[in-house]
Amino acid sequence: MLTIKDLKVSIEDKTILNGINLEVKPGEVHAIMGPNGSGKSTLANAIAGREDYEVTSGSIEYKGEDLLEMEVDERALAGIFMAFQYPVEIPGVSTSNFLKSVINANRKARGKDELNAMEMLKFIRERINLVGMDEKFLRRSLNEGFSGGEKKRSEMLQMALLEPALAILDETDSGLDIDALRIVSGAVNKLRTEERSFVIVTHYQRLLDYIKPDYVHVLFDGRKTEVPQPLR
Amino acid sequence: MSCLMEEKQKFRNLFDKTEADSKQPAHPLDEYRQRAIDRAGQLDFPTRRWEEWKYTSVNRLLQPDYEIGQLVDVDPKVVNTFMPEGLDAHLIVFVNGRYSEQLSRAKELPAGMTVMPLQEAMDSDRFGTIAREQLDHIIDGQEHIFTALNMAFSQHSLFLHSDKNVVCEKPIYILHLSANEETPVLNSHMNIAVAETGSQFAYIEGQFEAPGAAGTYFNNIFNRVVVKANAHVHHYCLQQEGENGFLINKVDAEQDRDSTFSNYTVDLGGRLVRNNLDTLHKGSNLTTNYYGIYFGKEKQHIDNHTFIDHAVPHCQSNEMYKGIVTDRATGVFNGKVMVRKDAQKTNAFQQSSSLVLSNKAQMDSKPQLEIFADDVKCSHGATIGQLDETAVFYLRSRGLSDEQARAMLQHAFIAEVLDYFPHDSVRDYAETLINQKFEQ
Ligand SMILES: Nc1ncnc2c1ncn2[C@@H]1O[C@H](COP(=O)(O)OP(=O)(O)OP(=O)(O)O)[C@@H](O)[C@H]1O
Ligand SMILES: [Mg+2]
Repeated sequence: MLTIKDLKVSIEDKTILNGINLEVKPGEVHAIMGPNGSGKSTLANAIAGREDYEVTSGSIEYKGEDLLEMEVDERALAGIFMAFQYPVEIPGVSTSNFLKSVINANRKARGKDELNAMEMLKFIRERINLVGMDEKFLRRSLNEGFSGGEKKRSEMLQMALLEPALAILDETDSGLDIDALRIVSGAVNKLRTEERSFVIVTHYQRLLDYIKPDYVHVLFDGRKTEVPQPLR
Repeated sequence: MSCLMEEKQKFRNLFDKTEADSKQPAHPLDEYRQRAIDRAGQLDFPTRRWEEWKYTSVNRLLQPDYEIGQLVDVDPKVVNTFMPEGLDAHLIVFVNGRYSEQLSRAKELPAGMTVMPLQEAMDSDRFGTIAREQLDHIIDGQEHIFTALNMAFSQHSLFLHSDKNVVCEKPIYILHLSANEETPVLNSHMNIAVAETGSQFAYIEGQFEAPGAAGTYFNNIFNRVVVKANAHVHHYCLQQEGENGFLINKVDAEQDRDSTFSNYTVDLGGRLVRNNLDTLHKGSNLTTNYYGIYFGKEKQHIDNHTFIDHAVPHCQSNEMYKGIVTDRATGVFNGKVMVRKDAQKTNAFQQSSSLVLSNKAQMDSKPQLEIFADDVKCSHGATIGQLDETAVFYLRSRGLSDEQARAMLQHAFIAEVLDYFPHDSVRDYAETLINQKFEQ
């Protein structure tokens, strides 16, 4: 699914990732831990395709294709989803309009028909319960004024709706109370399939009690310091 | 010293020629038109040395040798494309400044709501005095040369009037189509709108270029709006001029106590657009609302000059302008709010925000608060910025293309103002026009 080889990434001429290797197979869950500033979000963003993160060497292959050649939105439409550590507030774009647009953009890319208004509502309602979000959020501007926990749930809702092949969760558990954590991890577990892979960035062992990873990696200073350990 | 003398002479010659060729029977309005052209002769065209015209040069507008616009055939289907869907309005269409009976669609208006040619109003017993009063007000001591020229050249002016306590639910839609193909034309139009005590109506002005027309034209539009005590007037200006279209638009409003005047302006460009929106407060406890949206592309120039004259206590004004300029377009916002010595307890709110999306585009924004009273609440904010690139990344990371993401954010930026438009069909139509422009 995802093969990262000797990846080096720098931001404004500062090397942040210094030779990362990672192999994620379909259906696997990989946890990535590491201290603040070790480069976890940089790795996640480099996979998602953020432009100000410059890949200076190495390669990322996704489903047999050169990911680094793909635009951000091409990657998304090819099934890569990153839940942001800090979801962006977008005033003036209602959550429901945003969801409709992105759901249909993704359906179109997968050769499916666009959903009409009724089907859309039904689909969103079904998944919104999964992440324990209130429907009133649909009318609000995307992430604007959402609490930390609400933003994370909004990310999980998007993941549940877009049904990605590879989901990267960047500290989705940070700042969640135990109930929210249960709901979020419950949603992830429900979405786990033989094909779908997860890369979960976290600081807390607590999350890994709910979502059992296949491998745990530790990043330190832009390098992985531990060899992946199979846990099950 | 007077500048642009030759240009002034051209308008004078055009006036004389029009009068000589005119086959219209004489009418008392002619006297006003004569006074107006004489007044224009005493005034100067603005130059960029004038503080109020610092960012907008009218030189290009004055270059062409204009003829008076003529009524030409326009396919009635064209009118539909400029009709907000679901808008049940009394429609009056002007083509090149001339009334088109064929394209207009009169609807029954409530008793006491009058929409008629200005000449007819002057002739009538009921409205003769009111109409003349307003004409005198406009021309006596007029300082704005374009307003004087407007009166001199207006062929088919309109008179709108609501009687005491009459509420007209059906909006009045005045559609101006520019349909000029060759010789540059001058299209002038004047509305005199008077809402008597306790009455209410809404009127929409649409300024559009008919499809296929690409000639040069100069639309010179003037509105006099009088809102009496406890009356409420909504005025929409939807403007999308052609590539070679110039627009000078002036609104001169005055309000009496407990009244509301709301203007909603949507500018989607033209070669040069200049709006002057002025309101004078004459009674307390009234509200003035200005909501403006503009979107300039290519080499368009859009200038919004607004003025609210708080002359009496306990009044409220809300002003929100938002716009986008891209390519080589320029935008100007100059919002003047005067709070005179007696205007205690004034509440004046002004906000102007713009997005400048290319490095050749330009935005000049100038809030101008002049406050002479001490017990007032006035706030203003002006921002000029770019799109939030992290937001673009966020949207793209969900599968939207770069263009889709940017369009969504630009739309969101402007949508905040659209939410204040009280007529859903007009708001939706404005939104459609804006979206079309994003997609161009
Ligand atoms: N846009 C940026 N410009 C400059 N430096 C940056 C930028 N983004 C990240 N960095 C730096 O790169 C390093 C790695 O940051 P990154 O966000 O990847 O760490 P992280 O492991 O996700 O940390 P945390 O646990 O706090 O989220 C840090 O030293 C950070 O300051
Ligand atoms: Mg991080």
